[in-house]
This record gives sequence, structure tokens and C-alpha cells, in this order.
Amino acid sequence: MAARARALIGLAAAAFLLSSCDGLGGISPIFPEPVSPNGQGIYNTYIGISIPAIIIFIGVEVALLWVILRYRRSKQPAGYVPPQIHGHTGLEVAWTLAPLVVVLAIAGYSFVELQKDFQPITGEEMLVVVRGHQFGWDYDYGNGVVIHQEGTLAGDVTPFVVPVDTLVKLQFQGTDVIHSWWVPAISGKTDAVPGYDNFSWLKIDRVGSWRGECAELCGVGHGTMQIIVRTMSKSDYQQWEQKQLAALKASPSPSPSPAKASPSASPG
Amino acid sequence: MAATTVLPRPKAYDDTFFRPISIWLTTTDHKLIGIMYMVTGILSFVLAGIFALVIRLQLSQPNLSVVDAETYNQLISAHGVTMIFFFVTIFLTGIANYMVPIMIGARDMAFPRVNLLGFWLVPVSILLYYSGFLTGGALNAGWTGYAPLTEKAYQSHSLGVDFWALSLIVWAISGIMASTNFLTTIVALRAPGMKLTRLPLFVWAQISTSILLLVVGAPLAAAMILVEFDRQLGTQFFTTQGRPVLYQHLFWFFGHPEVYIMILPGFGMISEVVPVFARKPIFGYMTMVAALFGIVFLSMTVWAHHMFTVGMNTYVEGFFMLMTMLIAVPTGIKFFNWIATTWWGSVEFTVPMKFAWGFLATFLIGGITGVYLASVPVDTQLHQSYYVVAHLHYVLFGGSVFTIFAGLYYWFPKITGHMLSRKLGEWNFWTLFVGFNGTFLIMHTLGLEGMPRRIATYANPSWATTNLIITVSSFLIAFSVLLFLINVVRSWNGGEIAGNDPWQGNTLEWATTSPPPPYNFERVPPVRSFMPLRDLRESGEAVVAEPEPAKV
Repeated sequence: MAARARALIGLAAAAFLLSSCDGLGGISPIFPEPVSPNGQGIYNTYIGISIPAIIIFIGVEVALLWVILRYRRSKQPAGYVPPQIHGHTGLEVAWTLAPLVVVLAIAGYSFVELQKDFQPITGEEMLVVVRGHQFGWDYDYGNGVVIHQEGTLAGDVTPFVVPVDTLVKLQFQGTDVIHSWWVPAISGKTDAVPGYDNFSWLKIDRVGSWRGECAELCGVGHGTMQIIVRTMSKSDYQQWEQKQLAALKASPSPSPSPAKASPSASPG
Repeated sequence: MAATTVLPRPKAYDDTFFRPISIWLTTTDHKLIGIMYMVTGILSFVLAGIFALVIRLQLSQPNLSVVDAETYNQLISAHGVTMIFFFVTIFLTGIANYMVPIMIGARDMAFPRVNLLGFWLVPVSILLYYSGFLTGGALNAGWTGYAPLTEKAYQSHSLGVDFWALSLIVWAISGIMASTNFLTTIVALRAPGMKLTRLPLFVWAQISTSILLLVVGAPLAAAMILVEFDRQLGTQFFTTQGRPVLYQHLFWFFGHPEVYIMILPGFGMISEVVPVFARKPIFGYMTMVAALFGIVFLSMTVWAHHMFTVGMNTYVEGFFMLMTMLIAVPTGIKFFNWIATTWWGSVEFTVPMKFAWGFLATFLIGGITGVYLASVPVDTQLHQSYYVVAHLHYVLFGGSVFTIFAGLYYWFPKITGHMLSRKLGEWNFWTLFVGFNGTFLIMHTLGLEGMPRRIATYANPSWATTNLIITVSSFLIAFSVLLFLINVVRSWNGGEIAGNDPWQGNTLEWATTSPPPPYNFERVPPVRSFMPLRDLRESGEAVVAEPEPAKV
């Protein structure tokens, strides 16, 4: 019993160890280190599922190997006639119920995380409308400031700027085909679908910048629709925002027009 | 049992192989139609494999332009469509077409002419799809062809989408014909004594597959018809002004069961191969059958797990998550039963058995990553990333393709009268096993690091090494398939003569000659259990030989 408990703890430790060695020569067994609570929730769920997954994987592969090593014909005595067993009700019931219990546990565990981090939120400190188009993202801050993140592979795209430690609600809209906004270090992806609004949120706990991509095939420029999210300290962000607003005032044209320029201007 | 006597190959049947092309064009013989299905499937496999190599070359390093983005999008779509619709499903229909009537002791399928028509719709379907390339470009929206990207507003330059939609409508009709035929054959034409509880598990698998295709073929055709309405009649079902997500519901109501249409016959073949080479009866026959139907039922209640990022109610997502994970239960039963079948056995690792074991070792990974993907929170990270590409290839390549190879090495002697070379077969297996895992195992990590699928190229330098390893390994797969093709051609023309029953099989197909005569049996052997041939061998009764079959 104690040995089994120790083995379980060892496996859990192995799972965590796996999780800590991200980016080993570009080969990582887990997502990038999460910087937002919802990303952290997903990360934890992934590790939680990994514990039974690793146990089952090792158990079954060992059984398969054991059959190869022990029950191959050359290992059996000459003239060996195997017992003609047609089944065993107890065993069959057991390996119906055991996986059932495991998947119910995983489903329950995942459902708790789903309720915690994937419900529509209220009480956000900021709302940004994210519009996907062929091929780029527009981030509308609601005060006239709009960042146009046109897709390119030639260099870095214009970053989407948010303040650190701020609950930002993201409202996704698709203006032509379906796109999907994905920054792995922040959280999972959310589709920008034409016809209705989709929601997600982020609350990034440190200053830095993170990359992402469009994750839904949207045409020839799909691979160019890169995403960069940059966080600033709250005071830096306020300065940045003032600068954007001042630039808006200086230019006479009203804000919504630049969205037009996108489809032909972006290279495939 | 007496030493295996090598029977001469029946003359009458040989004639059918080498007769003029007309015999192939007009035959209603389920065996010849089965061979045509299988050859069509293998040719599609090779073609789609070449597409895959081009895709891998394009992705081997960042910012390459082996092909441009538009061509790339057409290639990934053609790769997916060809592998799924024209290779795996078609090949499996072919092997079932050949084997099911013989295994149940029937002389042919119930509706031979429907069989003929059903088969000839397949080349029509394939030609329709590839016609797209002549109209300025074939489908370029991935094999799933999500609206509104397939709508006219975003596809003004070509008719590729129209040809794809028409092709799949024809394909669905063909599949519905085949399914009806299989079900009728199995229900109505079983030999005396072949009760339902004595059906070989491959036949049970074909029953479950046929039910699935009957149920979901029509929704696929419906989705494609609506796409055509949108494109040609100006309706707004799935357009930017319509409901694009409705398309996803319709498509995946077909698309997810299609996964099982591609794997259940494989499960059936493994259930035939494993007991024969372990020299033990299948463990838990009834739970194996029950598990098949559990999968049939569950597979139709999980489609929206492909749509966890479109923004559904979390309780709806929870339902689809639960149902998806429950599929692990019947699949687990099958896994444990297969392993238990070999426990205490005397297992001969022939080439088909090696493929069967390779299937178990790799499909397990596909099954486990499937549970991660079913978990809604985790799926929002993994969805549409290379993790999914890795997962689906573990299921479809480690699953379907390995089972297809197992089935082929197992039944090739029956179909052609010649054994496939064991030496080449071993090379085929090991290069495929290494190449396959080398290609797809580290592909999981690309997805975890954030590489989305279906991007024509990428700028991120940290993905370069992994992609290069994958590309190199993919050429090992190509080499392995080449070995396989050489093996088939060489063995078909002069491999070791197989005799009626080279493996000491359990089921009726091994009672007749290799290849079987037209109408399969002169006298169907008595069926007293689900292993009729083994009963005969053990009771010392002579296995029924067919000295001089009737002329066609």
C-alpha cells in the first residue's frame, strides 16, 4: 500500500518535472509558462490529466511488451497448447468499470475548471473588441484607440498593448471568415465568428510580450496572422494611452476608416 | 491435422484475372469489386502520401516557399480528402467487400449490381474532386471546408469547392449503397449454422460501420447540398450573413462518426488476426460486440467536441466532453480483451501480428491524447494546433493504416494465392513503425509550443529543428510504403504459394481455395461456433477442398 502511494507520488512528481522543463531544445511536453489565471487553470488541468494518462500508458505498453517477451511462441515449450479461455466475466466487468471511473473523474475535474475560467465574466476593468479579418486583427479599445495588427511574416506585427494585473475582457468578432485568436502563454483560443460575439478574458501578471497566431484556416494569409500581446505597468500604459489619444486628435480622419485598407494590402 | 497440402491454384479463377479489361468493367463478383476498391484505395494512399511529402518539405524550415500559400492550402485539403474519403474508407470497404461474404459463407453480396454501381461511383467521386484542379484550383479550405471560407465571396477564382461538394455527395451515395448491401448480406445470406453470435468479429465490425455510414452519410450530403445552394443559388445558410457554425454541426455530425467508420473495420481485422496467431479464442466475444455498438452509439453524440472554441454554453460543452471521454470505455474493453487473448498464448509474431501489435502500441497514444483533447479547457489550447495533427495521425495512421497493413498481410494470401514476402514485410513494418513515430510523436510538442495547423509557413525559429526531424522521418514512411508496393507486386506475380489455410485460421474464408473460386464455396462447411474452421481441423474432418470450380 505504502509502496503504491509512493509510486503515485513519484508519478505526480514526474508529471510536474515534465512540466518544469519547457523549451528543451524547442521540444516541450507542456504549454509555455502561463501568465494569466485562465491559462494557469488549463495548465493545471493538463497536469492533472497527465497523472492517470501516464499510469495507463505505461501499464498498457508494459503489458504489450510482456506478451512479446513472455508469450511468444519461441519462449513457450515445444508443443505447448495454450489454455482455451473464452472470457472472464469478472475481469471484463472490472476493465469496463475501472476506465469508467477514471474518465468520470477526469471529466468532473475538467468540468470544474470549465466552470471556473470559461464562464462569461463580469466586473472587467477594461473591454477590448477584437475583430478578425483577412489577414490581421483590430483591437478596439472603445475610446477611439484602435490597434491594427496586420499580418506579416517579414517581421514583428504591431503589438496589442494591455496594462499588467488588469482584468481585460476580450470581445471577439469575425468580419469575413472565421479566425481564432490564440496566445498559448495567456490561455486557450477563442474563435472570431461572423454573426455573433465571442468572449474571453486575460489578466496578465507580469510585464513582457507574448506571441500567438491565428488558429483557424482563413485563407492564403492564415500563416501571417501573427499576434503579439505586450503588457505595460499601469503608469506606462496610461502614458501610452494618452499618446494614442493625442495622435487621434491630431489626425483629422475619424477612427473607423482604416479597417478598409486590409484585404488587398496584406501579402499572402 | 495432416500436413498442409499445397493445392493447385484453380484455373478458372486465374482466367478472370487476366481476361481483357471488360471483365473488370462489368463484373458483379464481390471479390473482383473488392480488389478494385482496394487498388483504388492504395493508389489514393500513394497520391495523398506524395502530397504529404510536399507539405513536409514546405514546413521543414521556417519561411520556405517550396509551394506558395494557395497551393499549400490546396495540397493540405487534397491530402486530407484523399486519405480520408478515397483511401481509408474505400480500402476498408474493399477488404470487407472481399471478405464479408466469404466469412459468412455466402456466394456473393446481396445486391451484386448495387455493389457494381456503388464501386463505380467512387472513381466518379475522385475524378470530380480532382477536376477542381482544372478550374483554377481545388478545395483550399482544409478537408473540413469550413464555411464561410468556402463561400463564393472568398473563392471567386475557382470552382474547386463546387467539385469537392459534388464529389462528397457522390461519395456519400456510394457509401450508403455499400452499407445497405453489407447489412442485407449479413442479415440475409449467412450460411446454415452461422448464427449472429457466431459471426466473425470482422463481420460485426462491418455491421457497426455500415450502420454508422447509413446514419451519417445523409447529413454529409445535406451539408454539401447547402454549401452548393449558398454558392450557386445565393442562399445564406453558412455565409458571413448566415450561420457558419451550423455548417460545423452538420459536418461534424458526419465527421466524427467517420473517424469510427475508418477504425471499426480495423478493430475487426485485429480481432481476426490476434486470436489466430495467439492460438487462443478471442477473449470476451460478447463484450467485443457490445463494445462495438457502444462506440457506434457514443460516436454520434460527440461531434461538438470539434467546436469547443466557437463559444457554446459550458453545460453543452460539458455534455460533449463527457460523451467523448466515455468512448475510452468501450475502446478500453477492446484493448484489454485483445491483450487477454494473447495472455498465456503461444504468440507467433508474423508480419500481420507485428502490425497488430504495432497498432496497439501506437493507437494507445492516440486514445490517450484523445482524452486530453476531450477536456474542454485543455482543448482550447490544443485545438487546431499540431497537437491535433499528431493525435489524428496516431488514430488514423497508427490506427487505421496499421490495421490495414495487418489485414493485408493476413488476407493477401487468400486474395492472390501467394504469400507476401516475410523478409520485405519485416522491413516494411520496422521502417514504418520507426518512421511513423519519428514523424508524429514529437509533433505533439509543436502544438504545445503554439504552432497552429494549416499554416503555409512560419517565422518562429524555435520550431525549425522539430520540423526538420519530422520531415526526415516522413521520408522514412515513404520508403516503407515503397517497400510495401514492391512486396505486393513481386509477391502477387511469384510469391510463395499460400495454399488454402497458411495461418491455420479460424474462419470460413480459409476453408476455400486461395484465391476463392467464383461463388466462393461448392459446399459451405458446417458452422458450429464462431471458429468453424478450427472446429473442423480439430474434429479431424477434411477441410472442404474445391478441386474444379465452375467456370465464370
